[in-house]
Amino acid sequence: MEQNIGKQIKLPFRRALQISLRGIRIRFGRSLVTVSGVVLGIAFLMSNLTGQLIKQAIAKERAQRDTVNMMLSLVRAEVGSVTGKKIAVAVCGTLNDTDRLLLEEIAAAAPESLRGLGVEAPGVTPVPVERLGEGASLLLILGSGARSEIPLANLAAGMSQRVALDSVEGRVYAGNEEANVRREPFFGRESDEQIQKARQQARAERFRTIWIVVISLLVTVLGVANALLMSVTERFREIGTMKCLGALSAFIRTLFLIESSLIGLAGSLVGVVLGALLPLIAYSFAYRFGLVFGSMPYGTLFMAAAGAVVVGTLLAVLAAIYPARFASRMVPASALRSTV
Amino acid sequence: MSNGQNHSTGLAAGLSQMLEGARDSAKGSYVIRAVGVRKVYKMGESETHALRGVTLDVRRGEYMSIMGPSGSGKSTFFNMIGGLDKPTAGKVYIDQVDIAQLDPYELAWLRCRKVGYIFQMFNLIQVMSCLENVMLPMSFAGKDSEEARERALEILELVGLGDRALHKPAEMSGGQQQRVAIARALANTPDILLADEPTGNLDLKTGEEIIELFSHLRKTLGVTIITATHDLKMLKASDRIVWIEDGSLARISTPEEANIHLEEVH
Repeated sequence: MEQNIGKQIKLPFRRALQISLRGIRIRFGRSLVTVSGVVLGIAFLMSNLTGQLIKQAIAKERAQRDTVNMMLSLVRAEVGSVTGKKIAVAVCGTLNDTDRLLLEEIAAAAPESLRGLGVEAPGVTPVPVERLGEGASLLLILGSGARSEIPLANLAAGMSQRVALDSVEGRVYAGNEEANVRREPFFGRESDEQIQKARQQARAERFRTIWIVVISLLVTVLGVANALLMSVTERFREIGTMKCLGALSAFIRTLFLIESSLIGLAGSLVGVVLGALLPLIAYSFAYRFGLVFGSMPYGTLFMAAAGAVVVGTLLAVLAAIYPARFASRMVPASALRSTV
Repeated sequence: MSNGQNHSTGLAAGLSQMLEGARDSAKGSYVIRAVGVRKVYKMGESETHALRGVTLDVRRGEYMSIMGPSGSGKSTFFNMIGGLDKPTAGKVYIDQVDIAQLDPYELAWLRCRKVGYIFQMFNLIQVMSCLENVMLPMSFAGKDSEEARERALEILELVGLGDRALHKPAEMSGGQQQRVAIARALANTPDILLADEPTGNLDLKTGEEIIELFSHLRKTLGVTIITATHDLKMLKASDRIVWIEDGSLARISTPEEANIHLEEVH
């Protein structure tokens, strides 16, 4: 007997995408509700990430400022106000941000002169080593390099008042003698107990945040799954009809997975923008506008945003797995049922 | 209605040509054969016998109506011979193929090309235009979209909606929607048109138009039409009326005989 039956072919992905897109566009209102669920979840995740980045950036900026202030007060303790004084700066290795900030502050205080050896910074006049100490009342030793390379005596030659401040080792050398006077480090060192306690608190705080974020994302997943299930039951006649017309179960499944991933992508994109902007604005009101936006590590923020979009899209697809299976298993005869 | 006849004639010739190819491949005189078909639905502990052994042959090109009160197993039988459901026992052959032997891909193929379905609620995909609705089964069959488009326009012309191709179903009357549904059912030149209460949601006049269209399609295309209906006019137009009662085949009658039965009921 001749073979008069064939196998149904799988449809190209493009076709499923077309049909899905059209479905979303027509059911725009409903899609919008589902999307907004994703928006909320992802916005919450993103606002937490952004908030953390802002807090870190501000804390870093503050710590830097504190260090600079501490060094400045140390300088004042030794030589009084910097204004009208001759200041010498020697740098070993490279300057870090804190060092640069300190130099800016000193330059801003209008000293008679600010001479530097191996420094390239605004307001600092480069001089050879013999002239560095000439009449200076303060020698600042900055930078991360090894101190042994520059003998203190050489640098300090010709200083009127022998006070040298070492930013890395936290030492002050003073007096007319060569004797090094060891002082307390600039930074008050906290006890191990305190550090441990602070760390524990930070860990608990982080855990709590992660927990809340995870819960909110779970709620999002359930919301999307629920909306899609509703959409499946709403469309069972349409799905049955498609099956009667020759659609494979895989096609129906693809249809719902595409729809969900598009919803997830759209929701995540909006959520990420909202979740990044809201904390930035809120913190700007609490702190200074420039501080928040200026200290923000935008590369890290972008990475966090990309991660949140991926998470949102994946979660939406995850939420669609069950509804898509449910839809694809619908029998074609359900198209014949006349009551909805 | 005159409109119903004008549009039909021109395209019929072209369509019957298209159908010939499909028909040549399977020349049996019975397009559907049901042999001792039983269907048992299990609901937990209890079993419901929807069909208790129905044997029936459907001739090629026949216009057959299935009658029966609700709960008689009529719908189950209807689904079975349309390849929408598989029997628990017994055999259903569509074009000499035992549908119980088919895998999901082959079943989808069969639904796509051998059977055209027409529904009481029309079941047009609301998000698509009429043209796209008619093109959908063709794209499931893997037809290239330009060819499908041309053919869809041809069939829409045949059912008298050539000028409405780009309208959405929601913008059309019930009768027009059912015409689109018929055009969609004809898209892949099926051997069988399976219609479930096709006039159930239409007013009398529109229903008559649809019945006329069916008769015309059968004459010109030689397509086998099976309907489940309570519409007297529909019964009158059919060759045979099959009565299903309590899961069994009660009797097969001609419309003339059926009239007597119906008058008894009313």
